[in-house]
This record gives sequence, structure tokens and C-alpha cells, in this order.
Amino acid sequence: MASPTTELFTGIGRRGHEALLEKVQGSLRFDLEHDQQVDHWHLAISKGDVAVTQEERPADCVVRAEQALFDKMAAGETNTFASMLRNRLTVEGNLRLLVLFERLLPGPPSARHPRPATRGRWRHER
Amino acid sequence: MSGNALVRILDGNTFVVSNDTGDIDASPSVPTGFFSFDTRFLSKWQLKVNGESLNALSVDDLQYFETRFFLVPGAPTHYVDAKVSVIRQRSIGSSFDEQLTVLNHADKAMDVTIRIDMGCDFADLFEIKDVQQKKGQPYVRVEDGVLRLGYERETFRRETVVSATEPADIDAQGFTFTAHIDPQQSWTTNLHVQTVILGAGGRDLRSNLQGRHGRAKVQMQEELNKWLDQAPRLETDNQALATTYRRSMVDLAALRYTPLSYGGQSVPAAGLPWFMTIFGRDSLFTSLQTLPFVPDLAATTLRLLGVLQGSKLDDFRDEEPGKILHELRYGETAAFEEQPHSPYYGSADSTPLFVIVLDEYERWTGDSTLVQQLEPEARRALEWIDEYGDLMGNGYLWYQRRNEKVGLENQCWKDSWDSISYRDGRLPNFPRATCELQGYAYDAKVRGARLAREFWNDPVLADRLEREAADLKERFNRDFWIEDGQYYALALDTDGSLVDSLSSNIGHLLWSGIVTQDRARSVAQHLLSGRLFSGWGVRTFAEGETRYNPIGYHVGTVWPWDNSFIAWGLRKYGFKAEAGCIAEGMIDAGEFFGGRLPEAFGGYDRGLTKYPVQYPTACSPQAWSTGTPLLLLRTMLGLEPHGEHLIVEPALPVGIGKIGLLDIPGRWGRVDAFGRERVELDRRSPLRELHGGGARPIT
Repeated sequence: MASPTTELFTGIGRRGHEALLEKVQGSLRFDLEHDQQVDHWHLAISKGDVAVTQEERPADCVVRAEQALFDKMAAGETNTFASMLRNRLTVEGNLRLLVLFERLLPGPPSARHPRPATRGRWRHER
Repeated sequence: MSGNALVRILDGNTFVVSNDTGDIDASPSVPTGFFSFDTRFLSKWQLKVNGESLNALSVDDLQYFETRFFLVPGAPTHYVDAKVSVIRQRSIGSSFDEQLTVLNHADKAMDVTIRIDMGCDFADLFEIKDVQQKKGQPYVRVEDGVLRLGYERETFRRETVVSATEPADIDAQGFTFTAHIDPQQSWTTNLHVQTVILGAGGRDLRSNLQGRHGRAKVQMQEELNKWLDQAPRLETDNQALATTYRRSMVDLAALRYTPLSYGGQSVPAAGLPWFMTIFGRDSLFTSLQTLPFVPDLAATTLRLLGVLQGSKLDDFRDEEPGKILHELRYGETAAFEEQPHSPYYGSADSTPLFVIVLDEYERWTGDSTLVQQLEPEARRALEWIDEYGDLMGNGYLWYQRRNEKVGLENQCWKDSWDSISYRDGRLPNFPRATCELQGYAYDAKVRGARLAREFWNDPVLADRLEREAADLKERFNRDFWIEDGQYYALALDTDGSLVDSLSSNIGHLLWSGIVTQDRARSVAQHLLSGRLFSGWGVRTFAEGETRYNPIGYHVGTVWPWDNSFIAWGLRKYGFKAEAGCIAEGMIDAGEFFGGRLPEAFGGYDRGLTKYPVQYPTACSPQAWSTGTPLLLLRTMLGLEPHGEHLIVEPALPVGIGKIGLLDIPGRWGRVDAFGRERVELDRRSPLRELHGGGARPIT
């Protein structure tokens, strides 16, 4: 079974277009460390079109992390910004692109819609 | 001069708070120190000369980022005999720099020992009021000419690196200098304090992202001059107004900060010392207040908040797709998710406000490019109102936190726990729908319709938003109106019952436009009634309500920013005298604070205290208090964009005199506006005399 990271990036590559990045221009590279090696994922974004390759090409924003941490991010189990503040994930270049990319990551699996169970019980009897 | 007075210098989210000798000796109750990115980088910085502490002769605030202290050693009685004096001049920007000069006033040479004790607790701003056992390890290293104070927790690392231009004996607790000073001569050293937030490659996180960190002093001075030059020029014979205007423009410059995720441009931080970061609500309201003066602040605020717009469901952060953030922090508690500020989205008003500011920004500047660029974010914000804001599915905007541990209970501007209550003091259950939120939602729909029609080529969306707005207004006027009191309820509870307290929230309904014409006079009368109007301004909560307290944070104090929006709303509905009354009260109050309106002051009756009583822990400067005089100027001059023109329709209260505002920027280029006080307001004069001066309620 493919890792959450691989699934995330191949999914993005397959879709080829992201509505949430409609007005975004720029490139990101993720350098993910595991077993004494580094995997690269390169994303070139142009008005929502996203091209994914596994090449070590220059990028406007370069992100480095352990593969295991990124797997958690890709599964919505850890937060990108907090990871950066903890220095578990490092960023060089344009952080804005990472914040925009983060829109494509899922939220925590346990998260729920804010509507309370009481929704719909509201009376209007005045 | 016991050193109790606090002296502050700041630049965005970097600031120093010390006592009046320049010393820092942090205690849990007093937030002194050198702070940057929500972390304290110095908690001890104490100067001694020949073993003696110093006393302040004077303190000069040179710039918002620079201060100079004149000091002498020993107790105050020794002043006359002082053979030595000390000048401590400090500035902040990319670092904290202090130039220390010791002067020998004697006619013979002397040897002087100068000692600075240094230390750091690396407290997160959230730990200061409630100091806890740090979970990481501190370390201290004495290196070649450098003292390195550090803190490490897993991969998280912060360091303070101190150096000096003169040779010193450095130990783990500070620097000792030994100086031989000839008669009538002086000795000087420059101390340099660098902060490090460890990031990629062991380098500073901020440098990795911005190519640099902070600005040099010279650059800051140039930028301040440019900032002041570009702002409209105020000409008035009213000294209080002139002072507060100048103060506001400088403080706004000081409060600008450059968030990491935003390529070098700056947005207003909320306020010193607790809120030196971006808040969705505060930054948006400040943007609205300052639009006629410095429209770029609104543009950068909208872009930044757009980038950070919520995109997913996250209970810990109270995040939902399309939601605009509440607060963003960079400290240890955010890093380790002990606090949810990465970012936190617990605010029900920032999302409609985002749409409102975008529309108002275009009306002033004609910058349709930004409206096009932010179309996806604005659409998602409008969708959020219906999908996630309408918690009860009945067409109102509600809030209820999902983060029960550290999330905010009240997600409206009055975000303290007890701010929303019934007349009898009971607190309603959740979710809650406060009245001003409905006003913002209405206004966002009206303005969103204009954007959709004129810029997004989507007449279908425009029609729908207009229908929804009309429907919301009708229902709101039916469901929130208190017939026997003739005012709008503070909120609705989940049973559809009225949270019936009288509050300043009803003032926001006017600028939103959700009040029907036939009810506007009644709302205005309540706002200026003795129960709400203190003589300085409108109280957050009416006298006579069970939880009313003149020094309760949101239940009786007077908030200047709140008043600026109330005045604007009154003016929009044609209540010129009432708007003027509030403007006058605020400008008068500002005089007591050197032109710098604080976050809040006591709700005591003006006749009782004669001066505005500052709220004990009020933040100052605070962005939306700083923006208050600017919105009041707009209100008094009746500035309103109309097509490609700026309409000027002045209505100045008595005693203001003449006002000329020159070079107001906008889609018209630059235009001037002039006004002088109007005769029709004279009928308030007997009231002023009756109550011993000052603005009084209209009865």
C-alpha cells in the first residue's frame, strides 16, 4: 500500500487542477527524508494547474521534513504550521506557497461539522 | 522615581517593555522584557554602575522604536552630588541595540565598573500571566566575546545572543566592563542583542523566509517619514484633535508588522503588549477605520487573511472551509499545540468582515484587480456564512466552540466569558447569535452582491445575495426587536428567546444598515441615553443591567473603537448631532492620554470622575483605538465615496472648530475636505453647561 504522502502527490498529479489554488503561481519542492535517503516532490502551480514530478528542481519554496512526519500531514494527523514552529519541518523561500498548498491537505480525521446536535430544534414562538 | 512606570518601544511584533531606568526584571504580573515573535528573549537586563542601581532623571521617546534614558547612580537624594551620569539609548528593529554612555563629571579621572545582569526565561507570551514549569531545557554558553542564552525543547530552539563593542568580562549572568574615564570625558559601548528562531540549516527561520529579518534603524526612520508624508494632512485649530491625529499616524506605523507568510508587506498588529500579532477582526476593523488615510493597510490585510483562509474542518482550531482567522501566533504554545493559534479560527465576525472590507476598499480606491484576485476567497467567505456560520439552520449567524479546552467561548468582539448575558445576569446556552453578527452578515451579503454583479460577472449570485439580505433584515427586525424596550436584543438563544440586555452592540447595527428607518431614532436615543452614554462615550453594557460593571472588560467599560463605529453608524442614518457628541467625547478623552486612546476606559459617569479612568490592564497602543480618531474624522467630515468622486458633507460638533483634511487618497486621486462647526448643534450647549462641561447625553 502506498504511503499517504505518495497517495497525496499522485492524487494531485492525477487531478492536474486545484480549484483552491485558482489564482496561485509558483513552485514548491518537498525534500522528504527516510532511510538515509531523500525523496523529492516538485509541484509547479500555474493558475490552479499543478504539475507534479519527483525531480530535484529549484523551487520558490523548499520544504524539508522526515517522511514519517509528512505522512502524518498528508493524513491530516499533524498541523503544518505548528510543525514548522517546532522546527520539525523547515522552510526556505516563499512561505506563502506552503500555506496555500496546505489547503490541499485534509483536516484531522476526527473533525466534525460545527452544526450541533441541537440544529433544527430552534423554535420561533414569539 | 521608583521605576514603576513602564517604557515601551516597538516595531511590529518586536518590542521592549522596561521600567523608567531601562531595566528589565520580569515578574509574573508585569510583562517586562524584550519580546519578538511571541517569545520573551530577555527577562533580565539590569544595569549597575560601581555596584549601584540607577535612577532616572528623564526619559525621551525619540521614535516609536527608539528611547533615551538619562540616569544617575544611587538614591534620588544624591542627585546633586552625582559625579557620574549615564545615557542609555536603545532601539529595536532587526535586533535590540543599546548604546551605553558613562560620563565623568569630576575634575579627576575615575575607574568605573559597569555591570549588566542578563537572563532569559524564554516565556511564551501566553505563559507570562500564568508562569508554568518550562518543559524544555535552558542553556547558557559563554563564547568568544558573546553570551549565548538558549532554550531547547525537542527540535524547537530559541536563542538570545549578546555582544558588545568594548571588551568585557563575560559570565553566564552578564557582562562586566571596567572603564577608565578621564575628567569631563565619557566612555561608550554598544550592546547588540540578536534573537534566533532556529530554522532550516541551523539558520534563523525569519531570514530563511524573508531573506532578512527586521529593518535597520535608518531604514525605519526613512519609512516613518515616508508614511507620514503620504498620509493626508490635517489642518485644525483644535489642538487635541491635531495631537491625537499625529499620535495615531505614528502609532499605526509602529503597529505594522510583517508576518512570515507574507513576502515583506505589513499589516496592523492588534495591540501592545498582549496582542502584537495579526487578529482577523482587529486588523479588518483597523483597515476600515484607516481606509481614507492609508488604504494600503486594507489591501495587505485582505491579501494576508485570504492566504490564511480556512480550508478544512479542524475542531482544535475551530476551523472550517472559508473561515477567516481569528489569531496567529509563533510561540512555543502554538508550536506544541498547547494553544490553537496556528492559526486559530474562533471568530464568527472576521469572515463577513472580510467581504465588507473588500467592498469598502474598492469603493475608495477603485482597485478592481484585488477584487478579482480575491474572488475565490470572497466567494468562500460568503458560502461560510450560510454553511458553517448558520449553526442552527435558521438563517442567522451563530457561534459555538468545538475546542472546549482552550477555544474561545464568545467568538464575537466581546470575547470575555461573561460578556453575553440576560438582564437578570444569567448566561445563555450555546450556540449564541449576537445581534451585531447579523448586521455584519447582512452587510456582507449586500456588498457581496455588488461585487458579484460589478466584478465577477455573476448576476445570479448577486440576485440571490440580495434576496437573502432582504430576508435577513426582515426576520432580524421581527426576531431581535424588544417591543417594550424599543431596542434590539443583545443576542438570541437556542430557544429563540431574546437575550434582552441593552448593550453597545446595537450601535453596530447602524453602520451595517440592518436597522429599519422607523427604528433608527429609538436606537440612537438608547445609545445616547444616560444608561449607555457616560459623557465620554457609549458603554459596552448599560447601567442597570445585572452584570453591569464600569470596569468590567466588556460589561461596562467604554471602548474607543466601538464608539468610532457607533458614531459612523449614527451618521449614516442622519443623526449628525449624536455622532458629533460621541466624536467630541472621544477627542476630549484622548487629551487625557496624550492623544493616544487606550483599548478601553472605565464606564464611570463623566460628571463623577472628570477624567477617563483607564482600564487596569488596557493595551496601548492598540490598533483599533489608534484608528478611532481617523474614523471619527471621516464621520465628522461626512466623507463618502460615490462613483469616482468623494462626497464631503461636514457636520462638526460645537467646540471642534475648523477641520481641513488635505490630500485624501482614493480613486479620485487626491482631494481636500473642509468643515467648520455648525450652528444647528448649538442646542446641546445648555446641556454642556448644566453638567459642568463636556459632551452630555441627549435626553
